[in-house]
Amino acid sequence: MRQRVETDSLEIFAGEMEKVKDALPKKIEANPENAEKGLAKLVLTLIELIRKLMEKQAMRRVEAGSLTDEEVERVGETLMKLENKMKELKEIFGLKDDELNLNLGPLGDLM
Amino acid sequence: MDRPIKVLQDKKSYLDLRRQEKVTLLEILDRALEKGVVISGDIVISVADVDLVYLGLKVLLSSVETMERLRGAPMPGATEEPT
Amino acid sequence: MTLKLYAYGVIDSNEKMEESIKGLSEASVYNIPYRDIGIVVSDLDPQAQIKNEESIMRHEEVVEALMDRFTILPMRLYTVFSGREDLLLKVKDHYEDFIKNLDRVRNKAEFGIKVIWAGNIIKERIINAHKSESPSADPTRAGTKFMKEKFEKYKIDKEFEEEADRCIAILDGFLNRIASEKKIEKLKTDNLLLSASYLVDNEKRDDFETAFEVLRNSQGGDLKYLLSGPWPPYNFITLSHPEDGKLGGLDLVETLLQHKSSGRER
Repeated sequence: MRQRVETDSLEIFAGEMEKVKDALPKKIEANPENAEKGLAKLVLTLIELIRKLMEKQAMRRVEAGSLTDEEVERVGETLMKLENKMKELKEIFGLKDDELNLNLGPLGDLM
Repeated sequence: MDRPIKVLQDKKSYLDLRRQEKVTLLEILDRALEKGVVISGDIVISVADVDLVYLGLKVLLSSVETMERLRGAPMPGATEEPT
Repeated sequence: MTLKLYAYGVIDSNEKMEESIKGLSEASVYNIPYRDIGIVVSDLDPQAQIKNEESIMRHEEVVEALMDRFTILPMRLYTVFSGREDLLLKVKDHYEDFIKNLDRVRNKAEFGIKVIWAGNIIKERIINAHKSESPSADPTRAGTKFMKEKFEKYKIDKEFEEEADRCIAILDGFLNRIASEKKIEKLKTDNLLLSASYLVDNEKRDDFETAFEVLRNSQGGDLKYLLSGPWPPYNFITLSHPEDGKLGGLDLVETLLQHKSSGRER
């Protein structure tokens, strides 16, 4: 199943994140080698990347002055929701910000 | 091989001995806490307490050095401040 | 109670150590050989308290004393093994890496340059300069307030990033032709614009220090440049199988494969 993420569809993305939260296994064992925790880490890293890209996109729109006051308010509310959702997910899986990163070797870190 | 001073400071500014020791310790921690050959010995020693020391020193470095040296130095475009 | 082994570094020698160097808790430091290299350790009482300034300084002193006589890959602080067998297994595991790293850092030392500035003052300046771009909508509404704050942070991050890159370009101009390798960390703290490490050949050391002085004298304004060194090459160790817990490209694939092959078993 292929999905395209459009950076304008913030509300849809927020909804998807709710589903992700339900889909990931609830019990994570303490063992850091555990494949499930590794998978959760990976998924959350990718989500975090997308969230940050969306935020950045919104900022560029603000910079360009291409958002109306209403749009600013709506986008702001959604981004806020996304940020809080991420915080929840990080807490549930006991992951810290610097753990949600990928090392790409000579290219440095993803985020 | 002779050992030059570990931390070369601007000859115009004065670092007292105690602060210099702190700066040296900070520089050591900056390297040895996370870098070097990173392989886990089978005894794992948490660096939690040391992290706290490290953070404290980092603040020391960034605040003291910065404030001491940059205080009074006029910002480009700003009006002159007394030194 | 069995003593553990506290490790200081990997050296390019399998010889017994001639002089006596004192390590943590005044224990004598000695070399455990493996093929043509060795790992330098001292016996450690597992009850000993080593999370203190004294031990940290001693670790560094030992590494530097060894650096005068050998090529050394310094160990991260607090690398402790339960015994020789465990230690040798680890060394065997990373032997090829160790050889490669020893060859790379031979006759070289690390120098560090930290570039600092008054981050808070700069932030204020940036916010003031961009007030007109910030969303003009009603700031008492939650979404708008969030956007205003994010925008300020965005502007700050953007300019900090640009300043760091500008600074790197300056450093590169002065130092790239002298240093063998470099590693740069940007924006580690608000006041630490740049933290750069350079691997410098012993013969080029004077050139490097001179270039730094010229660089520093040529720059005025908001930035202060701090040089430190020579250091053991902490920042220039690369392992093909890093054990630092960060999810890397290869680990990623392995994690996925693991999950797939273990199926639905919990």
